Amino acid sequence: MFIKSLYLTLSIIFATVLVVLQTTLSNIFWLSSVDMPISVGVFFNTFFGDLMGMNFGGAIPLAGLIGVGMLIAYSVTKIILIWVNAKKSFAYGLAGAATILALVLLMPLAFYNLDLIAGARTALGKTILILCGFLSGYYFGSKIEDKE
Amino acid sequence: MKILLVTVLGFLCLNIFSKDYEYEVIAEDLSSPWGIAMIDDNNILFTELSGQLRRIKDGVLQKNNISGVPDVLFAGQGGLSGIILDPNFQDNNIIYIAFSSPDKGKKTNTLEVISADLVNDSLENVKTIFKASPSRITAAHYGARMAFLDDGTLLITSGDGFNYREEAQDLDNHYGKVIRINTDGSIPSDNPYINQEGALPEIYSYGHRNMQGIVVANGVIYENEHGPMGGDELNVVQAKKNYGWPAITYGRDYSGAMISPFTENDGMEQPIKYWVPSIAPSGMTFYNSDLFPEWKGNLFISALVPGDVRRIAIENSNFTEEEILFADLGRVRDIVTSPNGTLVLATDGPGGKLVRVQPK
Repeated sequence: MFIKSLYLTLSIIFATVLVVLQTTLSNIFWLSSVDMPISVGVFFNTFFGDLMGMNFGGAIPLAGLIGVGMLIAYSVTKIILIWVNAKKSFAYGLAGAATILALVLLMPLAFYNLDLIAGARTALGKTILILCGFLSGYYFGSKIEDKE
Repeated sequence: MKILLVTVLGFLCLNIFSKDYEYEVIAEDLSSPWGIAMIDDNNILFTELSGQLRRIKDGVLQKNNISGVPDVLFAGQGGLSGIILDPNFQDNNIIYIAFSSPDKGKKTNTLEVISADLVNDSLENVKTIFKASPSRITAAHYGARMAFLDDGTLLITSGDGFNYREEAQDLDNHYGKVIRINTDGSIPSDNPYINQEGALPEIYSYGHRNMQGIVVANGVIYENEHGPMGGDELNVVQAKKNYGWPAITYGRDYSGAMISPFTENDGMEQPIKYWVPSIAPSGMTFYNSDLFPEWKGNLFISALVPGDVRRIAIENSNFTEEEILFADLGRVRDIVTSPNGTLVLATDGPGGKLVRVQPK
């Protein structure tokens, strides 16, 4: 139980870091495209600023949002896996992807089509974020598989 | 001795904290009043975000709305918004209204500005004189305030649409721009981008976010705009200048992420004043009356957060001093100066009021 909780926590952290990284990169790429003076130092400052800001400075802590979503998605997946014979890493990967998909689709519905995660404003951005969710879920599923 | 001291101190405190103005509620139970236009001291037109154009006639709120108002998209921050009288209104009865306009058969909308003749209690000869392009799927950040330059051209604030903030740096769209047009919708021949290929000729300045206050005072254009979390700005707007959003900003995104690590850059203008945390500036007037002589020559900015009015003293178009006023009224959506020098405010939201600030 403890080990599973640890993997769940690591999976949430992994997803959070990836989502933040995607947000930072999407901003940095655009700023660079309009000739703002981007350097390695600026990138790391922005990334760590985003990591802190999106978890402690925003309206809702990102890790909390992802955590609640993943807890629900992984629980549903665990129940489904009782009846469906599927590779756990892949099944939890899909659950992670579904978590982020719900996040990027439901948020605009609640806020008049406003995308509050800046990196989710384009189809490509949404796809990358969903992939981040898949990778986090895949990590969780593969660790559970290893343990069993 | 102690009693004397306490009495003197009490008297001094009373003098310091006593107001030399009072409020008069002109109208109440309104449906999100948004924009005010003073015909004269006792005749007022105002918009309600939900789509009504209403009138106070001889100091009395009229029951019937003014008819002939176009359909608006009332959602999010959208609805019937800015209103301004033609500089020759007393002769021609023309008014201009900005609103969020739903596109027919689509799930998109845009900022639209109409001109219309006010005939008794209806709008006639309604003409679209500006429509922001491209349309948006969001219902936020319209700008939708207007002001006249001394040459009779009309300035319109066109917000960045929230999801489209980067577009504020491109000149091929109307997101995050101050627009300048003639009152018939044509483009003034001296607009800064009229001959620039790839740029929309209506654009006057760019790099703005959600500008909800614009006034022209002594030939100077002042504009205020909402930042995100922090970074609200008061700018002096000049033709062809870039105000930096979102490449430079003093605010952060609502998610807590940085929008930009930069607050300044070559070729981008600095605000004359910015606010962190946000005050959510929502309207603005230049006070040029002798009724409150100590306020003459100051800007008054209505603010939604926490809800007050900011008196901004300026000297040579530079910020010198800020004072918080009328903090007991709640969120203030708009502020205008009446011809007699009283200030008229609109409080925000359902149940909003029009309130006059006058000397005691």
